[in-house]
Amino acid sequence: MTAPAPRRPRRLLATGAALLLALPLTAALFGPLLAPLVTPADGAPYARGGGHPLGTDGMGRDVLGLLLRGGPSALGVATGAVALAYLLGGSLGLAAAASRHKAVDEILMRPVEILLPLPSLLVISVVGVGWRGQPLAIALTVAALNAPAVARLVRAAALDAAGSPVAEAMRMQGESRSRVLFGLLGRAVLPVAAADIGTRIATAVFTVAAANFLGLGMEPTSADWGVTVAGSREALLVQPWAVCAPAAMLVMFTVGLNLLADRLLAPAAEAGTAARAGRALAVRTQKAPK
Amino acid sequence: MLRYALRRGLLTLVQLAVLAVVVFLLTSMLPGDAAEVAFNEQAGAVQVDELRARLGLDRPLVERFADWSGALLHGDLGTSLAGHRPVTGILADSLAATLLLAAVTAALVVPLAVVLGLLMGLRAGTRLDRALSAVLLALTSLPDFVLALALVAVFSLRLGWLPSTWVGADSGDLLRHPALFVLPVAVLLARTVCLLSRQIRAGTLAALSAGYVVQARRLGVPRGRLVLRHVLPGAAVPGVQELARTGDQLLGGVLVVEAVFAIPGTATALVDAVQNRDVPTVQALTLLLAALALLVNLAADLVCHRLAPRTEVLR
Repeated sequence: MTAPAPRRPRRLLATGAALLLALPLTAALFGPLLAPLVTPADGAPYARGGGHPLGTDGMGRDVLGLLLRGGPSALGVATGAVALAYLLGGSLGLAAAASRHKAVDEILMRPVEILLPLPSLLVISVVGVGWRGQPLAIALTVAALNAPAVARLVRAAALDAAGSPVAEAMRMQGESRSRVLFGLLGRAVLPVAAADIGTRIATAVFTVAAANFLGLGMEPTSADWGVTVAGSREALLVQPWAVCAPAAMLVMFTVGLNLLADRLLAPAAEAGTAARAGRALAVRTQKAPK
Repeated sequence: MLRYALRRGLLTLVQLAVLAVVVFLLTSMLPGDAAEVAFNEQAGAVQVDELRARLGLDRPLVERFADWSGALLHGDLGTSLAGHRPVTGILADSLAATLLLAAVTAALVVPLAVVLGLLMGLRAGTRLDRALSAVLLALTSLPDFVLALALVAVFSLRLGWLPSTWVGADSGDLLRHPALFVLPVAVLLARTVCLLSRQIRAGTLAALSAGYVVQARRLGVPRGRLVLRHVLPGAAVPGVQELARTGDQLLGGVLVVEAVFAIPGTATALVDAVQNRDVPTVQALTLLLAALALLVNLAADLVCHRLAPRTEVLR
């Protein structure tokens, strides 16, 4: 197969992914500002028309208004949680990979492996007993659940570069520790992390939405997309918009992110060749001072 | 093999112990303890204190943990605050439906994923492979509850072919009503089959270009035998590893599916207990479900080790 052939569908895929992501992201970012302008007063339950472009839900609230307000919690909690997981797990993984003492690596990574298979929705339900309705508690829980996996991934991605002749050469030339850590290891982790962040945020959005859907997360009156899908599901045929609109937002976001991550994975495979080229370069520089 | 199994089993025990501590700490640190929850707002402070003393909530945390875990080891899961009956009773009532659901799903997941994954791997790059890959990627991106609602909308509400809920079904002989299982199992299968078959496809591709398969082909091993005896074991390794990781998602799926279809299972009991802030029930059910997930994990790792002995205990 020639090289240019698979590239075109891939670019098409990226455009599609960007288009899919655009709507839920816009709704989440600007929706809360827009909502007061377009939301009419409460109407009858499950009404269609009558000034409500998407009708009303079981409590008579305007569906479009709910949709515009529900984004920040549906996407923000998950995104914040993954960011926190990378801050914690990423630094742990980098530290473990960079340490040249096996004991440090063991001490840092063993607890991570014990925590790795904890079922996420179970932990969320335990947390939900006491801290129901608090987005911060859910975000912290999801972050804590993701951090071990992130630490393992980052460590595995950085380990190759940490043992490479490039790292050795940098150390011998007296480069600072932070330059080795962030300049070399950080760069080696980047393509892997970029693809992982996409799928991880999508999964976190799933988890948070499922928790909200089950009533383990936000209050049942919240505008969150997961909560509103659960609240109106009995009226799926009477008022389909109340269920389909927030569900569509969630699906568009996760499908878009997964497509984007899939596209990012392909360059990550090519990055292997780049790393090998870098190693060859390092061998040359090592020889040069002679 | 035996040494590996022992070490891996030990790790599972440690994981269970850590989980027990986490569950106990999280539920003990709750704002407002069980005594306050058991009474409504009108209860006086004296009554709350009395109940607190009766439940032993005024004692130090370590002592309570020792008591709780000791009882747990003897099979005493405590008494539910909501129904005032032993948690083991709740468990006995709810476990059958969940286990049946899990068994039917488990029986279907592996053959489906293997067939799809092999098909895509052997026909890699063809139109069939690309179409299947696209459909599977889209399916993995659908949240469980959205898929469940969509299936209910189409197959029960519009077409009326399948029941949309288990309410009213006789829990005694669920197997008499196979129609009840179709939609819940379909939802549970969707994501796991997608994730697994993608891994098996990748494994098949790797195995096809491996030296031993090339050599076997050169020796004239018939195609069917080549695929089943030589390609499949190598291709299955990433799939089984993925299977260990899908335990978590499957459990999440069970929670959602039981809620959507009103299945009177363990997950429904757990969600109810969380909503009633019924701490002993939450503790017991969480630990039990987590133990099941960890056992699946353990089994998958052991199978993996049998297929490819080079895999390490961890990492």
